[in-house]
Amino acid sequence: MNRLQVRKVSVTYRKKTGLKPVSLEATGGEIVGLIGADGAGKSSLMHAIAGAKSFDGEIKFDNHIYSSPKEAEKVKGSIGLMPQGLGLILYEQLSVNEHLDFFADIRGIRQDSAFKTYRERLLHMAGLSDFTERQAGKLSGGMMQKLALICTLLHRPKLLLLDEPTTGVDPLSRMELWDILNDIIAKEKTLCIVSTAYMAEATKMDRVFLFEDGEIIDKGKAGELIEKVRPFSYEAAPEPFEKSITIHGYTYSLKPLKLKPKEPTLDAVFFINFIKKYGPIPEISIVHKDRDEDVPATIMEAKGLTKRFGEFVANDHIDMELNRGEILGLLGANGAGKTTFIKMLLGLLPIDDGELFLLGERIKSSDDRQILKAKIGYVSQHFALYKGMSVRENLRYFANMHHIESERISGLIREYANTLGFYRYLDVLPTDLPMGINQRFSVAAAIMHEPVVLFLDEPTSGVDVVARAVFWEMLQRLKDEWNIAILITTHYMSEAEFCDRVVLLRDGKKITDDTVKNLYQIHPDAHNFEDIFLDYYNSN
Amino acid sequence: MRIGVIKAYFKKELLDIYRSKLILMVYIMPSMLLILFGYGIKTEVTHTRTLIIDNDQSKASYDLVSTFEHSKYFNSEVKNLSENRALDLIKQDKKDLIIIIPEEFEKHLLKGLKTSVGVYIDGSFPSRAKTTENYVNGIIYDTIMKRSVSKAESKALITINARNLFNQSLRDEDMIVPGVISLVLLIAPAVLSALLIVKEKENGTIFNFYSSSVKKSEFLAAKLLPVLLLHGINIFILFLWAIYLFELPFRGSFLLYTFSSLIYIIISLSVGLLVSIITSSQIVAYVLTLIITIIPGFLYSGMLMPISSMEEESVIVAHIYPVMYYTHILYDVFLVGDGLSASKNVLYLIILVGYAAILLTVGSLLLKKRIA
Repeated sequence: MNRLQVRKVSVTYRKKTGLKPVSLEATGGEIVGLIGADGAGKSSLMHAIAGAKSFDGEIKFDNHIYSSPKEAEKVKGSIGLMPQGLGLILYEQLSVNEHLDFFADIRGIRQDSAFKTYRERLLHMAGLSDFTERQAGKLSGGMMQKLALICTLLHRPKLLLLDEPTTGVDPLSRMELWDILNDIIAKEKTLCIVSTAYMAEATKMDRVFLFEDGEIIDKGKAGELIEKVRPFSYEAAPEPFEKSITIHGYTYSLKPLKLKPKEPTLDAVFFINFIKKYGPIPEISIVHKDRDEDVPATIMEAKGLTKRFGEFVANDHIDMELNRGEILGLLGANGAGKTTFIKMLLGLLPIDDGELFLLGERIKSSDDRQILKAKIGYVSQHFALYKGMSVRENLRYFANMHHIESERISGLIREYANTLGFYRYLDVLPTDLPMGINQRFSVAAAIMHEPVVLFLDEPTSGVDVVARAVFWEMLQRLKDEWNIAILITTHYMSEAEFCDRVVLLRDGKKITDDTVKNLYQIHPDAHNFEDIFLDYYNSN
Repeated sequence: MRIGVIKAYFKKELLDIYRSKLILMVYIMPSMLLILFGYGIKTEVTHTRTLIIDNDQSKASYDLVSTFEHSKYFNSEVKNLSENRALDLIKQDKKDLIIIIPEEFEKHLLKGLKTSVGVYIDGSFPSRAKTTENYVNGIIYDTIMKRSVSKAESKALITINARNLFNQSLRDEDMIVPGVISLVLLIAPAVLSALLIVKEKENGTIFNFYSSSVKKSEFLAAKLLPVLLLHGINIFILFLWAIYLFELPFRGSFLLYTFSSLIYIIISLSVGLLVSIITSSQIVAYVLTLIITIIPGFLYSGMLMPISSMEEESVIVAHIYPVMYYTHILYDVFLVGDGLSASKNVLYLIILVGYAAILLTVGSLLLKKRIA
């Protein structure tokens, strides 16, 4: 039996703690899920088990005990690690076949007929049989990830460590990845440890460990975990109760409330844990601003917007409209063209074809944008913050950049910090703060000059469940109070629920553009947005 | 070490270098540098427009004048002008150099008395002026020495070193080209080996090494051998440029040239290995390697300034870097041809081997098979 025992393993990066001491056990044939946001410690644990990172504590696998990467050498032959990142372990310049040869050689596999059959089977399962001569750099994100998976499976590892294999992958490829996995585990009795940021995938795992802040906050079967929090989940209360959280149509409370119970999801575990640890979420409000009523109803209009990179068409004749007082979600897998589109809107990339109207003005040159800059707010992927400056200094810098009068700046920073709940972090460096806080103050930096439209590029990736929920609440209020238009991209399909209207991109093309309500009406069988998108992906 | 693993990596590296067009950098950069520097650096100054005012009109002064007239470094004209008129000619950019031989020049020399020759040089290009000054000093001392009755006396007078380049048999190319070869073979392999390792770190493919049972020695061999092989070919390409384009003589042993160059490449790629240990992005690795290699390579190769004419501290520094030893062997194989019969060459070769061994060992020890 392949048995893995992790005993009090902790990981530190220079001064920072990546993982507080955790212990777990698992056996072959099992899929064990590690669920949590970026930086919660999932990757640290995987790297430690794979012997790719020094750690404290002890790991036992396959009757070998090791407590350092060096001692782990003897088990590396039977471990397969697929690190986080789309096709991270692939070499852009090598073809699919060359990859399989390379991995077979460095794993010292005898290339006999049994191996060749196995190799063919893997290629077939991954749907790559027809692409064996194609270079990895020219594969789609989903195909790259499938190739990375079969490269990791090539030496028939007894322990498979997959770090966020499905993040940023389109829904169809994601399903296929799970199919390959289930198939292999059933046949080879592999022990598989998978981490994910998607709560919905927990149902595909035998057991899950929920990670937050480098700790395991709960573990067990997904059903059991939900059972545990069922007594604390209610339909949203109209009025806030003491020591409770009301968010996304739910109210969570440790004390029994006279409310109708509501079927919880795994998210509830994180909220309940938050209440236990910190109490209710501090109230967030929005700085008051007089509504700009002379702003046109259509903030942005794109007609046939196209962007090419050489042969590759990143955006193929995309039509889109963004209206005042609307949250528009731009969804799609990695490489679908979301960021390219936003960059064209902002003038960070030249437009190859099509017309763009911002606030009713046709944009032809960068001069046309100059006047509009004051009315646009932008939060980039990974937040463009200066790491060497404190939160306050960052905000002051952005305020100056937007020509806010200097005597107003200090007051404004205080106001925004108070309302958005990061006042006590004002003099801390962004690198020492949790992602959720950075995310909120990036938004503050983008809205201090009171724009009428806000562009957000994947602001929620890597942010934990609670902070993400708070963030969506904040956007909702911002929309309500300021009547601002918001365009937001995300690869969490579940977040589509919080948008007013959704545009789905696939391979640079717009597949659908409709309100959330309408989409549910068109797809009556869908349980959630994942299902709706799968319908669109399958129909093509 | 398993040959299969090394072969797999080796094949992958070559494919990658070829398909990512890095191969162009491997073969164009060294030749380009050689040609640019080979033609570009001229420390020699020829055809200096010279005016000589001979106030002595003696045998000694005629000798001096005729030496200037016969030199390719000077276009001399003898005229009897007043000092002020002559200086105006420099101001008008009609002359670069004025030499005034005083009255009783010969008499003073014969009596062993002090005499002074007036030399005015157009200083608008300081380095050219400095070179010209050295030439003039050389010629004047040379002439005095020939005429001097007593050797002791003349030696007391000759205190300034004539510049090395002022030697009719040595062409500029003969000094520059071997120097550039040593510079190029220090930079290029270091850059390539640093990039090959850091690229995997930056892209994340380094996990294939971390998480498999590939040994450190196998990984290193697989990364460094392609560099040695590819740049090994450059040894011959640069040799061909030197012989056929720059028409350098080749008086030494080709075997010594090849062997010392291969050792030198190992030193260079070990420098790249060391850089790759402390950096994690390709651009930083690239810039850092360039800084680390170009400056000592340029200053201490003896290409611009002979080590023997450096200040004391510089001589010590020059001995710390491996550049000097290799350049010395290069000068020998191209220009001198003593080969291993000269004990200095043997010593320098041993020092190079020592460098290679130490750097490679340190690099291998510092390389860690895990996330930093």
